[in-house]
Amino acid sequence: MRNLTLASGLALTLAFTTSGAAQEEPIKIGIPVGLSGANSVVAPSVVQSSELAAQEINEAGGILGRQVELVVADDGSGAQGAQRAFDSLVYQDEVDVLISMETSAARNAGLPIVNRSETPYIYTSFYEGRSCSPYMFVNAWVPEQQVTPVVDHFVNELDAQTFYLIGSDYEFGRGMLEFTRQYIEESGGEVLGEEYLPMDASDWTPILSDVRSKAPDAVITSTAGGAPNVTLTKQMRNSGIDVPYGNLAVDEGTAGNMGSDATGIYISQSYLTGIESEENAAFLSAMDEKFGSALETPNDLSVPQYEAIYLYKAAVEQAGTTDKAAVIEALPQVSYKGPRGDIQMNVQHHTPLTMYLGQVEEDGSVSVIQRFEDVDPGEQCPNL
Amino acid sequence: MADSYASSTARNRRRFWLVGLVGLIALTTVMIAPYFLDRYLVNVLIRALFLAVLAITVDLVWGFAGILTFGQSAFFGIGAYACALVATHYGFGPYWFFGAFLIGLAAAALTAWLVGVLSFYHGASPLYSSIITLALPIVLVQIIFAGGRFTGSSSGISGFPTYYWAVETWFVIAGVMLVVIGCFAWLFVRSDLGRILVAIRENEDRCAYLGIPVSRIKIALFTACGSIGAAAGFGYAAFTNVVAPELGGFLLGTESLIWVALGGRGTLIGPIFGAIGIDVTSSYLSGTLPFLWKFIVGVLFVIVIVLLPNGFASLVTGAWRKFGPKRRSADANDERASHSILLRPAPTVTRLGSNGEKPIIIEGLGCRYGSLSVLGDLSFEGRPGELLSIVGPNGAGKTTLMRCISNGSERTAGTVRIAGNEIAKRSPEKVVGLGVGRSFQNTSLFDSLTVGDCLRLSRYRIDGARLLRRTHHVALPKPALGILEATGLDKHLDQETRYLSHGQKRGLELAMVLATEPSVLLLDEPTAGLTKTERTAIGDVLLSLTNSYGLCVILIEHDLDFVRQISDRIVVLHEGRMVLDGSVEEVVSSDLVKSVYSGHAAEVA
Amino acid sequence: MTALFLDIVTTSAILFIVAAGLMIILGVMKLINFAHGAFLTVGGYSAYIVTDYGFSPWLTVPFAAFVGFVLGIAVERLVVRPLYSRPLDAILATWGLGIVITQIIVFAFGRGVQFAESPMSGTLEIFAVGYSAWRLTLVLVAVLLGVGLTALLYLTRFGLNARAVIMNEDLARGLGIDSVKVRVSTFGLGAALACGAGALITPLLSIDPNMGLPWLVNSFMLVLVSGVAIPGLALASLLLGGAQVVVSTFVSPILGGVTIVVFAAILLRIRPKGLFGG
Repeated sequence: MRNLTLASGLALTLAFTTSGAAQEEPIKIGIPVGLSGANSVVAPSVVQSSELAAQEINEAGGILGRQVELVVADDGSGAQGAQRAFDSLVYQDEVDVLISMETSAARNAGLPIVNRSETPYIYTSFYEGRSCSPYMFVNAWVPEQQVTPVVDHFVNELDAQTFYLIGSDYEFGRGMLEFTRQYIEESGGEVLGEEYLPMDASDWTPILSDVRSKAPDAVITSTAGGAPNVTLTKQMRNSGIDVPYGNLAVDEGTAGNMGSDATGIYISQSYLTGIESEENAAFLSAMDEKFGSALETPNDLSVPQYEAIYLYKAAVEQAGTTDKAAVIEALPQVSYKGPRGDIQMNVQHHTPLTMYLGQVEEDGSVSVIQRFEDVDPGEQCPNL
Repeated sequence: MADSYASSTARNRRRFWLVGLVGLIALTTVMIAPYFLDRYLVNVLIRALFLAVLAITVDLVWGFAGILTFGQSAFFGIGAYACALVATHYGFGPYWFFGAFLIGLAAAALTAWLVGVLSFYHGASPLYSSIITLALPIVLVQIIFAGGRFTGSSSGISGFPTYYWAVETWFVIAGVMLVVIGCFAWLFVRSDLGRILVAIRENEDRCAYLGIPVSRIKIALFTACGSIGAAAGFGYAAFTNVVAPELGGFLLGTESLIWVALGGRGTLIGPIFGAIGIDVTSSYLSGTLPFLWKFIVGVLFVIVIVLLPNGFASLVTGAWRKFGPKRRSADANDERASHSILLRPAPTVTRLGSNGEKPIIIEGLGCRYGSLSVLGDLSFEGRPGELLSIVGPNGAGKTTLMRCISNGSERTAGTVRIAGNEIAKRSPEKVVGLGVGRSFQNTSLFDSLTVGDCLRLSRYRIDGARLLRRTHHVALPKPALGILEATGLDKHLDQETRYLSHGQKRGLELAMVLATEPSVLLLDEPTAGLTKTERTAIGDVLLSLTNSYGLCVILIEHDLDFVRQISDRIVVLHEGRMVLDGSVEEVVSSDLVKSVYSGHAAEVA
Repeated sequence: MTALFLDIVTTSAILFIVAAGLMIILGVMKLINFAHGAFLTVGGYSAYIVTDYGFSPWLTVPFAAFVGFVLGIAVERLVVRPLYSRPLDAILATWGLGIVITQIIVFAFGRGVQFAESPMSGTLEIFAVGYSAWRLTLVLVAVLLGVGLTALLYLTRFGLNARAVIMNEDLARGLGIDSVKVRVSTFGLGAALACGAGALITPLLSIDPNMGLPWLVNSFMLVLVSGVAIPGLALASLLLGGAQVVVSTFVSPILGGVTIVVFAAILLRIRPKGLFGG
């Protein structure tokens, strides 16, 4: 009974705010993000791009005449923190939408709260795929989109026959490499070894010794971002392994900081700062202007975040309301042309993307080797 | 007698009423609270309440029993994963749900039992059990990681079917769980058994030599707390609908220590508020100030451990003692002082001579540490009613001999038979069961326990201990009662032992050993540090033990005058060998002994 | 096979280097320093500062050791000194201290991964295989460290005093040894070793606020298994480090991660005082 009154009370307030009684009432966008923990390295860049999007929208008159307000909450990059963050955003701040990149653990932890509250949620991080909820949309890549360019290039251009896969032992690491193995075998290659280390481990020695003894034509790694990725790359370079090396988890910024160890690494992304388009140029100069020396390099997580806020704007404008159900209905129908090109979350709540295969140069910059148009995410959520 | 019994049950009833009343108030609060709090706070509180249950178990294990555990989170994790795994992979419904609950409890209990068996053996250092509890969550998390799709690896499992009851309902469930477990824990720590936990914390070794099965009690406690932790974890998972490896991880384990330490270990209520306070505050602050908040908690933790070992609860109790209503508490003290515990004679048992066996026979006993032989080829026996003194210069191996008789795992050769039973490799508490009582060179007692508590716990082997009640009478054998009267201790049953004089401590220790109803009494320098009069009194007591009660007393003594006055027989040890075994006259007149004792010869003469 | 051998030797050497500081503190002070992980991290960041200011990467280790020594002395005075009689509480207090140090590092350097220049890179030819040069160097460092610490304990005045305090503190004090001073310098030395070790392992690792934490538990286990003696620590590192490499290579790298913990728990059950303990 109590619950019913509460729910209807909530609905009433919503009805009031949406019926235009309170023009000044801002639209609240909740951003649960890993300010601490594993994601703390990339989180600041995501917050920055969100701030830019909000500023641009507000300066241009807001959404349906209402201003946009960001509510950022730390999720500690983990399940427990994510629950707190989602709870506080949904029930305390009563946000209209959740838009964020997060670890898989944090996303999984937050989803029940999204489902319970029926809040629209745009997930802006690449991930291992096949996470489905009627309220969640994804505008970043899944293995089907990211792995294929790397493997195709290695097999077709570099004549690689044998592969060795190394990953961090978590859902993303395993999910990516599982798909990679499948795809390599479909392409006629052979996987000589597939090994994992726990996420907090830092000594890759035994695995690297195995790599050396098996002498594969190419190595593909998918570790957790940050420390594990860096330690693996450093130790691999230190142990003298110099076969083509595809790193599914490194971003441009980290590659640039890593110095000589990163040279020659192949990466596959839906966003690189070097994309030549009007939208990207405008975005980069706006970011530069707003943050100056404090700017965190825009990357494959912060750009989808930026675009997602515009996608939400488009959906609200199409629906003519911030009513949650109406927005959810509109979300897959709208598209937005951002730094990564045209983005529409219309394939089972996932997004076809243009992917770029890049290689890290000696000065730390990434040169684009090949471009793959509109790569389909494949069967992610057949029930949606 | 009937009178005392009535008053003791009345006191117990009063305690139950008090706990019941507090429990009821707490329950009412729990029922009403969700309707006055905003929804977010209710959500946060539900989780905090489950964590507070975990904090209670940490407090029982660490605060009361003194086992520093880093691994309580592992049981929480086991319970949580039981909920998630069964619902995800097997089925969901009332029976499945309840089944999963039982599976979680059983799995946690089994794990805790195994850990307990591994780490709580006699002589284990407290550090070793901490190491094991440290290893436990690390191993558990690796298992979860390695479980791939089944356990969800590092991402955990979410969205499994559960009861989507209203948050108010969940609040009541969590609250009731906390209140019920809190009340039981409260009754438990104030019960006879609870006192024994404190005794184990303060002096584990002494407990073992009083015949208290220390290892078994610790294992049982750890197992019980493991299941309670699992129950909390199960509730947590069922409510949040998410499990992740961090729920069973080392960091949650240390975090729970922080709650307990800040709240006040050994206070129950402190840890509860510690857990709820820190968790709720961090929910509000971590969103905006994640790093600062961690920093503050870290600094507070260090300060509390260094300066305020009993946590913030000690500030409150300290203030209460200082500014609280003084008169009433004084009254309460008086009342307690007069009657809170009653002594009465225990029914006499006739263990000695029951099977015609000698109380103690030692044959070919030897003890060596590596290449060093401390004792070699000792053989002698003790008869009922005999007072046997063991003398010898320092380092002759007297105390080692005591150890070899009272602990089966000490000697390296030979046999010790107590009333016909081989002690074999028995642990001290089992040797006590055969009828060996041992007092120590230093008066090692339990500082924070009262005289009455000490006496009660030394009766554990014979009378057991109540789980939730405090008994208010202690049945003691006559000789023990005699000592208490002689030393005036029977008037100070509510005094904490640290306030006793040295002589009183000696007397109490002897009474405690006698309370275990030994047939062989091993005394290691019972007169050390006593005045002449006290010495004479102890001598009289010993004589009456042998003469009137037929005990076999084996005494180590340096004061040879005293030995000569009271002994029936003397065994002389020198460099681990038996030099002489004879009557007082034989020993006193022996030249050999004089040469052994060259320095002390004058005393013997 | 050669690779396996080299893996075992180098892994053991790294473990030895990392655990040495913890052992010195436990040996002399009977105190388990759970801030050890944070000290390693401080060493890593010291290395970062040195190379960030453009000094030679070879200066990272001495600088880190110096920072550690100063830090150790401060910590001993502020936190550790009141806890000598409460060893279990000392574990908790130093753990809390570790949290505080980590947060201070976050305030100062941010949460991200930092990079320090390595003194050397690439491989060296040994036994007809190319092997990581830095790992091979660490073997040499471990040997020198072991010899150096032994010499310190047995050939110097400080060592004599420290050993006296280890054996019988009251007696040592009676003989006029300033046990407080011995403790301060021991804690300083232990912290210096920890920070130095942190700088030594950075060429293999990334520098981030939590870099030391995974090493803490393993070091702790090694030190207990060693029986708190230098040869014991060497043996324990070889034995458990070897077991870790073997399990990682032949069974699974994931199980390799818990090998040291599990083996140590079993070994300590059989020999509670460790390999070299009485």
